[in-house]
Amino acid sequence: MIVAERKPFDEILEMLAPQKRVLVLACGGCVTVCLTGGEKQADELASQLRLAARQKGMDLTIESDSITRQCDREFIENLKADPGQYDAVLSMACGVGVGFMSELYPETPFLPTLNTTFYGANTAPGAWAEYCRGCGDCVLAWTGGICPVARCSKSLINGTCGGTNDGKCEVDQEMDCAWLLIYKRLKELGRLDEYRKIRPPRDHRTDRGRGVRRLVHEEMVELEEEESQA
Amino acid sequence: MRDGDLTSRDVAALPSTCELMEREWSPCRHACPVHADVRGYIEAIAQGRWRDATDLIRDNLPFAVVCGRICHHPCEANCRRRDVDDPLAIRELKRFVVELQGAEGATVHKAASQDKARVAVVGAGPAGMSAALDLAKMGYRPTVFEKFPVAGGIPATTVPKYRLPREALQIDIDWICAHGVELATGLEIGKDKTIDDLRAEGFEAVVVATGLAKSRLLPMPGADHPRVHPALKFLTDVSFDHPVDLGQNVLVVGGGNVAVDAARSAVRLGTGRVRMMCLETLAEMPAYEWEQQEAQEEGIEFIHRRGPIEILVRQGQIVGVKARAVTRVFDENERFDPQYDDSDVIELACDTVIMAIGQAADMGFVEGSSLRQDDRGRLVYDAATQQASLPGVFACGEIVTPPGSAVEACASGQRAAVAVDLFLRGHQIRIDDSLPPEIDSIAEDTAEKVINVSREPVEAVPPQTRVKTFGPIDKTLAREAALRESRRCMNCGAGAEVLVDKCAACLTCLRVCPFDIPKVTDVARIDSSLCQACGMCIAECPAGAIIARGWDARGLPARTSAALASAASDGHAKIVAFICGHHASAADWRGESEVVAGVAEVYLPSVARLSVSDLLAAFEKGADRVLVLACHEGADRYPQATRRISRRVDQARQLLAEVGLDPDCLRMLELPDEDGEAVHPALVAAVETLPAG
Amino acid sequence: MTLPVSRFQEALEAGEFVVTGEIGPPKGTNVEPVIHEAETYLKGNVVAVNVTDIQTAVMRTGSMVGCKLLLDRGIEPVFQMVTRDRNRLALQSDLLSAHILGIRNVLALTGDHVAMGDHPQAKPVYDVDSVGLLQAITGLEAGTDMGADMKGNPNELDGVPTFFKGCCVTPCTEVVEPQIIKLEKKVEAGAQFVQTQAVYDPATFETFMKNIDHVKIPVLVGIVVLKSAGMAKYMNRGVPGVQVPDAIIQRMADAPKEDRKKVSAEIAGELVREMKPMCQGAHLMTLGWDDVVPDILEHAEIKP
Ligand SMILES: Cc1cc2nc3c(=O)[nH]c(=O)nc-3n(C[C@H](O)[C@H](O)[C@H](O)COP(=O)(O)OP(=O)(O)OC[C@H]3O[C@@H](n4cnc5c(N)ncnc54)[C@H](O)[C@@H]3O)c2cc1C
Ligand code: SF4
Ligand code: SF4
Ligand code: SF4
Repeated sequence: MIVAERKPFDEILEMLAPQKRVLVLACGGCVTVCLTGGEKQADELASQLRLAARQKGMDLTIESDSITRQCDREFIENLKADPGQYDAVLSMACGVGVGFMSELYPETPFLPTLNTTFYGANTAPGAWAEYCRGCGDCVLAWTGGICPVARCSKSLINGTCGGTNDGKCEVDQEMDCAWLLIYKRLKELGRLDEYRKIRPPRDHRTDRGRGVRRLVHEEMVELEEEESQA
Repeated sequence: MRDGDLTSRDVAALPSTCELMEREWSPCRHACPVHADVRGYIEAIAQGRWRDATDLIRDNLPFAVVCGRICHHPCEANCRRRDVDDPLAIRELKRFVVELQGAEGATVHKAASQDKARVAVVGAGPAGMSAALDLAKMGYRPTVFEKFPVAGGIPATTVPKYRLPREALQIDIDWICAHGVELATGLEIGKDKTIDDLRAEGFEAVVVATGLAKSRLLPMPGADHPRVHPALKFLTDVSFDHPVDLGQNVLVVGGGNVAVDAARSAVRLGTGRVRMMCLETLAEMPAYEWEQQEAQEEGIEFIHRRGPIEILVRQGQIVGVKARAVTRVFDENERFDPQYDDSDVIELACDTVIMAIGQAADMGFVEGSSLRQDDRGRLVYDAATQQASLPGVFACGEIVTPPGSAVEACASGQRAAVAVDLFLRGHQIRIDDSLPPEIDSIAEDTAEKVINVSREPVEAVPPQTRVKTFGPIDKTLAREAALRESRRCMNCGAGAEVLVDKCAACLTCLRVCPFDIPKVTDVARIDSSLCQACGMCIAECPAGAIIARGWDARGLPARTSAALASAASDGHAKIVAFICGHHASAADWRGESEVVAGVAEVYLPSVARLSVSDLLAAFEKGADRVLVLACHEGADRYPQATRRISRRVDQARQLLAEVGLDPDCLRMLELPDEDGEAVHPALVAAVETLPAG
Repeated sequence: MTLPVSRFQEALEAGEFVVTGEIGPPKGTNVEPVIHEAETYLKGNVVAVNVTDIQTAVMRTGSMVGCKLLLDRGIEPVFQMVTRDRNRLALQSDLLSAHILGIRNVLALTGDHVAMGDHPQAKPVYDVDSVGLLQAITGLEAGTDMGADMKGNPNELDGVPTFFKGCCVTPCTEVVEPQIIKLEKKVEAGAQFVQTQAVYDPATFETFMKNIDHVKIPVLVGIVVLKSAGMAKYMNRGVPGVQVPDAIIQRMADAPKEDRKKVSAEIAGELVREMKPMCQGAHLMTLGWDDVVPDILEHAEIKP
């Protein structure tokens, strides 16, 4: 799922500065699961903003609401508040939600309160780590399920660099060297031959090389069109 | 969605999440004949909300003081805590709080206008008074006719005073009458007035609640001797300080509670020897175990498995009772069907006999009316509608139910009030007796995780002292003990509910629950019969998807505001102190806010329920400083609660710092675990160390 | 067999024990002192001189210009190339440029992460890794670049470069197999020589060399000149795959300040001498102390 962390409070305060009526909008999706953008965090931020407004003598009305997901248009029906009625909405969603909601409410600025950081998994209570980078050309089949694109700080594809140190990455002594993990895993699996194969430089077209990536399931599209014609 | 799943829509429609308590009842409430909100009032006691507790009790139970003293307390017998250590001392807690509050300390819910029909109630016992009270609350004008000069029925006239002091009972009567219940005492229906008279006087309905005031007798030689006393008459005479002719060697025939009352009363009258003879073995005796035990402590001897066949009278004096052996009391179907061995007969020496073998109705009220009785002389009556054989005449209480307890009589009276109301409004009398389901007993592995706390003992007067008077046999709990005892309640059925539409299946609840209760599949679900209602998950769920059935989190900001408003601050910083209402060493806390100037005290069932936003909200509500007083690690009723709340406080401090507020404005204190002084001095000390205003 | 493209290659193929040196271009345009040092102490003493490529991700003058300046002074350069800062277009373009300038030795490296340097905010590129870079060079030598036309045919070059291609390996790491496998891949991708990461422990190196017996390209053992005991300790803590034994640290610690260079040269020289029989050359990384090179060679009993 998508993992995000909250932006520094001052940055949030600064971005909403000219606004008077602001809605803090939680997202019940991934960011709830990673304990960053759920209803609880929205309430906390709303509280913080009200306190700051009082502290600084700002004329600011803050309300909060939440939505199942900010990346599907149908859910906006469940909103109790109408985003259109606010000067701005502070979205607690990942960048996807902020962007998508901005499209749905072209008149209302949707401002991000989070920094969308990675696609990750929960490694321990309260802890998440990156497992995938959404590169568009998955290599996990030959890396023992450990993604070198996401988890090697250099996204190397042919094995450890010289920076591997005691199994850790040169970038951070807390971070495992992904390639050492891959090596160990492949060895366990008896698949070291996968490590031995030379992997040609990656084709970055599937990654960020070509702008907005899209997914279209033709069968769905047709059905919807038929319906609208009928 | 599964059966029983809740959504935020369901809950939004409720005025308060406390309504969810109706989803399942705790066994204490379920077992209570009037279904008093036991958990609710115990929690109120735990937080020192004496008046709230009293009002909650009286909402269902008009005879709160009577029951606080003499109820057979099925709530306790069913308390889930029995599977952990000991059941809650529910009756004792009730006694403590309702007597502390008295009649004045209980809210009177008078009907907005009392102008509906007049209703006559015959008999001022628990049943009649309860019916009258409910009718008055509905706006009817009830008058209760009572043959005795006092109201209260058996509890006022017959129950021994050492168990129920009359001035205590008067609290209930006064409170009931304050609702606009008219009393006409010293007026016997069937003699001074008939039921037909009442109808003619304009009473549109009559409720008969005359009870079972007579003792049944056994026809046998000697039974008409003046020293053979029917137990109820004997007890009533004693109760009104009328002289009774008692010798020095009393034999009470019977093994029930009335027999024990008679025997113990006889002891108190100075009789040399008192024995009880009954058909049953010790285990079979209908008298409650504690009654048997107290009787034995007072020197009363039990003779089991004997039935009287003759009272031996020589020269006009009773000299003994001839009794035969009993071979069995109950048949295979556990029906009362005693069998005797006539070859085994003994003579028991005595000079007085008290017959306590059962009760019977005094049907005098029927006189002059066309009310029908069946072939066994019982009032003809329909249990479903509470109606007797004449339209507009109803019956309730022991006259129509088998002999039982005061609280059951109250329940019967309340049901009759409903029937009368339906009748007077011209409706068909249909009463829905269905109840919400009862919460399951606690699972063994959950019980193991509950921290054991032993039941507060009640201080009994030693037998050698108590046999000399009709004064109370025990003392009620001291305030501190009552607070401690009430905090043992596990809040059964008041626990967490997941709003499935909001749950993101993030697993947080599962991770923070100290009792391992939540299960997360497609969404989280929390088994109400296991949940301990600590609130840990509620405060942590990022989706705001968990609520407590029995606690309206939405109400906390309002409570905080109210506390702030009432805390005198005279220019000082306004301080909110969230205090764990369960703190083991809150013993010094007498259940009354101990005002530290400028400090608004908010007591919570456990500070584990405080979320980060609750803490921030306190500042929004106007607090300049916020203190969280928690039990020290290990003393909290909920494992890990202290550590969790301390992390939340840290997090909230960080959020405050971001806003530009001094994080030291929010502090957490772990109270020492010593008896006595704790909360108050800690508050005083903490207030001094807070940043200046 | 094709003809050697550089003096460096020639020496190795001739079976000489080859010593290379290393310079790091300055942060700024004042490049003269470094070149001068190289001219003074390295020229004639070593066969070729590596020019580092934005070493440790600390921004500085480029490697290509350093190589060109050395060439101008008659010193054969080894053009170090890391994949951290350039995508495949820039890398290939620079290779063509280097060839045009006369640069023939190239050392393909991944490069320290930007996080280690003085511009941690920079975007790390790593479009290709060291294996990919070697493949790219091999491709250029074959007359095609990494791209292809619409039909999928590789793009042809107009004028084809040739290089003597090298790579790096870390011999003294705890888990050495992944390093060796990667070395095999580099060789398969076209690597013709190896310069190793710093080695201080001849015994470990010997084992390593046995382990790569099947890898048939010359190996130059890496020697980093110690400047102080503190530096040694720092390397043990912070530099991947480097373990300075306590005895060596002690020797540095015991040396009076004025003698440090001498002791350091002694240590380096002894290490080279000891490992000479195990490998085909030594790569001296003097970190600016170029003046110790003659001393080292003396202790290593190597005649320039
Ligand atoms: C000795 C004894 C001890 C008991 N101990 C306990 C105990 O510890 N705990 C407990 O829960 N229960 C106890 N009970 C049972 C409890 O008292 C009864 O269940 C309860 O009082 C029944 O209430 P009631 O209103 O139906 O009848 P009652 O309490 O009997 O009230 C009926 C009232 O009607 C009046 N009345 C009768 N006829 C007329 C008439 N014709 N005109 C006007 N007034 C009339 C009577 O004087 C009486 O006041 C005890 C009962 C007895 C006899
Ligand atoms: S623990 Fe409390 S709620 Fe549960 S059964 Fe006992 S008194 Fe009732
Ligand atoms: S903590 Fe809340 S959102 Fe997470 S699984 Fe539990 S109920 Fe669902
Ligand atoms: S954390 Fe507490 S309230 Fe939540 S499920 Fe567990 S016991 Fe119940």
